[in-house]
Amino acid sequence: MSIRECAMNSEAFRRLYEVYKNRETVSDAFRKNGGKVVGQMGCDVPDELVIAAGMMPVRLYADEYRPLVQADKYLEYSFDPVMRAQFEKVVDGTYNDRIDYLAISNSTDVIIRLYLYLREIKRLDPAAPIPPLEFIDWLFTRKMIHQSRNELTVRLFWRKLEEWSGRTITDNDVQSAAAICNEDRAALRRISALRKADEVKVSGSEALVIIGSAFFMDRREHANLVNLVADDAQSWPGIDAARIFMTGSAQESTELYELIEKVGGVVIGEDHDWGDRFFGRDCNTSYSPVRAIVDAYMMREFSSKKATVSQRVKALNDAVDSARAEGVLFYINAYEEAASWDFPSQKSSLESRGIATGSFVKMLFPLSENRDLEEKLGSFVESVRRVRRDA
Amino acid sequence: MRNDCKVTDRQGGPARAKKSLNATATAAAYQKEWFSGLRARVDAGEDFAYLNADVPMEVLRAMDIPFVVNQWWAAICAAKRMTSKYFSLLSSAGYRDDLCSYCATAFAESLDPDDKTSGPWGGLPSPTIAITRLTCDCQSKIFELFARNHGADLYLMENTQARTVPPDWWELAADRWEELYDSDRLDAAVEELKALIGFLETKTGKLFDINKLVEVMALINEQENWYKKTRDLIAITRPAPVTVVDTINAVMQAQWQRGTQWAAAHAKSLYEEIKAFVDEGRCAVPNEKYRLMWLGRGLWHDFAFYQNFEEKYGAVFTWSMYLAMGADAYIRNNFEQDPLRALAARYIGMEDFLHMPPWNAQWFLSEARHNLIDGVVYMAPENCMQAVEGSYFIKKTLEDAGIPVLLFKADPVDSRKWNRDTMTGMVEDFIETRLVNGGKK
Repeated sequence: MSIRECAMNSEAFRRLYEVYKNRETVSDAFRKNGGKVVGQMGCDVPDELVIAAGMMPVRLYADEYRPLVQADKYLEYSFDPVMRAQFEKVVDGTYNDRIDYLAISNSTDVIIRLYLYLREIKRLDPAAPIPPLEFIDWLFTRKMIHQSRNELTVRLFWRKLEEWSGRTITDNDVQSAAAICNEDRAALRRISALRKADEVKVSGSEALVIIGSAFFMDRREHANLVNLVADDAQSWPGIDAARIFMTGSAQESTELYELIEKVGGVVIGEDHDWGDRFFGRDCNTSYSPVRAIVDAYMMREFSSKKATVSQRVKALNDAVDSARAEGVLFYINAYEEAASWDFPSQKSSLESRGIATGSFVKMLFPLSENRDLEEKLGSFVESVRRVRRDA
Repeated sequence: MRNDCKVTDRQGGPARAKKSLNATATAAAYQKEWFSGLRARVDAGEDFAYLNADVPMEVLRAMDIPFVVNQWWAAICAAKRMTSKYFSLLSSAGYRDDLCSYCATAFAESLDPDDKTSGPWGGLPSPTIAITRLTCDCQSKIFELFARNHGADLYLMENTQARTVPPDWWELAADRWEELYDSDRLDAAVEELKALIGFLETKTGKLFDINKLVEVMALINEQENWYKKTRDLIAITRPAPVTVVDTINAVMQAQWQRGTQWAAAHAKSLYEEIKAFVDEGRCAVPNEKYRLMWLGRGLWHDFAFYQNFEEKYGAVFTWSMYLAMGADAYIRNNFEQDPLRALAARYIGMEDFLHMPPWNAQWFLSEARHNLIDGVVYMAPENCMQAVEGSYFIKKTLEDAGIPVLLFKADPVDSRKWNRDTMTGMVEDFIETRLVNGGKK
């Protein structure tokens, strides 16, 4: 199915698609005009603060086919392949020409290690082409002591951004930026509703383009474009395919979803950070700015990395119910192990409720390295259809 | 110090490691006796906690709550050659059997319906409390699954990262520990301790008494100071009076008993026994030519491996982190003013000291020099992100200082993946190519 003609006929979608495919175009222009760009490694760097500082946040991503010379030199084998590929681009200097600063959030244990390694490389060789770093040490355990600690962490990042940007960030700046981000989230929720409707109007790969383009462009423009796409998509033809929910490794490209669509499925939701999880919770502008940011990032839906098994079982069940999925695809890259501990309990819970599951673990990156993947996905989608027929 | 050597009663490369110290045997005997006593307390209805190694067990010691440490128990299971069985149980239950072997052994054991009859020492009694720190993404998951199988309450402690990293942590840790960390990080760790204490008081009905913690902290300082003396003695004595086969077990078993009279006395006896060896001129390997440092966790399922290179090459493993961490990482003087803060300054550092570059690399180099190390054999675990610690930086730091390093991957508890012949060949090749004749062969 891939990206459909109806989508490409939408001017707004085409603009998002162009940004998604050419991810540096906007930020390069922003820098050329004197703006400063903050790269983000990890999914918990508060966009609101970066935008409030007048800077542009961009998400780091992996190049699928770049040789991993630096990663192989510095990293142990147990780093997952996507993070290896991101690390490569930082250490080989690629990002040094495209971002001014790098903010790293402890969204996974792997990223903590990457931060320590980058810091050490820079310490040993101050001339290494690595941008200035800042680590955002979130705690995700939901207790008041950790909430208070997170407030300190946010204030530290706030101060660092003031230093980087050379300007004072006021409460009003943060509230305005939060309002923009919330507008964008609201627009993305409109798309999400179209994905999850009885008649699916937006495919998974189209949704990834719409969501992922947010990471590489002005957020207000993104919100406006997404709203236009949501208007346009009302008239797009419905998709009759097995309704699949995807959990596991973040998908930085549309390849996996396109394969699923090719074999008769459609991904109507996911819980990774290049998908639905990005816009799940607003920044509550009635709170003080620091508290609002802590609330938005600490209290959003549990990630597969920073949660217990029971939290993840409930989170997945809720998401699958809300999407009315017929099948759940567990897709986990090699060495991205944490979610593997959730899987048996999640599978058991889902299957007891009549929802088919398919497990794809130790997956290679890039996707094309996995033999017979299309065939295996086809078997899984067929099993989902079978459940529907039997029902 | 030159040790004019008399041979201790250990030679060759046996199938099972031979140990020469009474202290090792004493510790082994004590832990069995202690475990039996613990079981009796659990059978009598007392709360029983299962802790990950980096949990501040001093709190439970002060509250007299019986506990077992996850890594100690995994080592016991590995030494009893139970891990193959346990990991097949994991697989049967739908879990992957190639992940987190060190941390998941006890969870795997909890799937064994025959544990009471076939488990080590009658199996693990069912805990009522399971506590871990979030030093790895998998920790909370594995501990929750474990707790669920035992019907235990799960308690999680957060982990924070160091923003500032002053050099030479081992010079600051004992007396100037406040300077080691960002103050707010220590504040947070103290709050974490208070929350843990609140949970334990509610769960067990026992009162936490700060005076009792003071006693525990004093005993620990006493114990670890003996380890410091022991480490220093081995470091300067050539040939070495003992090897890691003796010290790892003697120290690790007692380390999990820290804060008790027994552990302090045992550490003293360990020092005195080794000192007597030195005074008598006894040594572990009379033809000692090369002193090796073992980096990584203990090879619990094959201790005899460490002795494979003694007779043929005179290559002796004299250093492991177990004794040296006791010497450098645990002592906290001046704790009386604020014992909780001193304890915080101990427990949050363990992860940093061992797994954070540059702290780990700088310490390993300092220790290699202090211990007259000729070569380093460095086992990086195969399936453990928690133990990922910047092996590139460690190797580079040591090699740049002229100390050869053999870096390889293996599993400390899962014997299924271990081939002694292959591994022996690898180390022999390292010795021949990097150490013999100054690496010129």
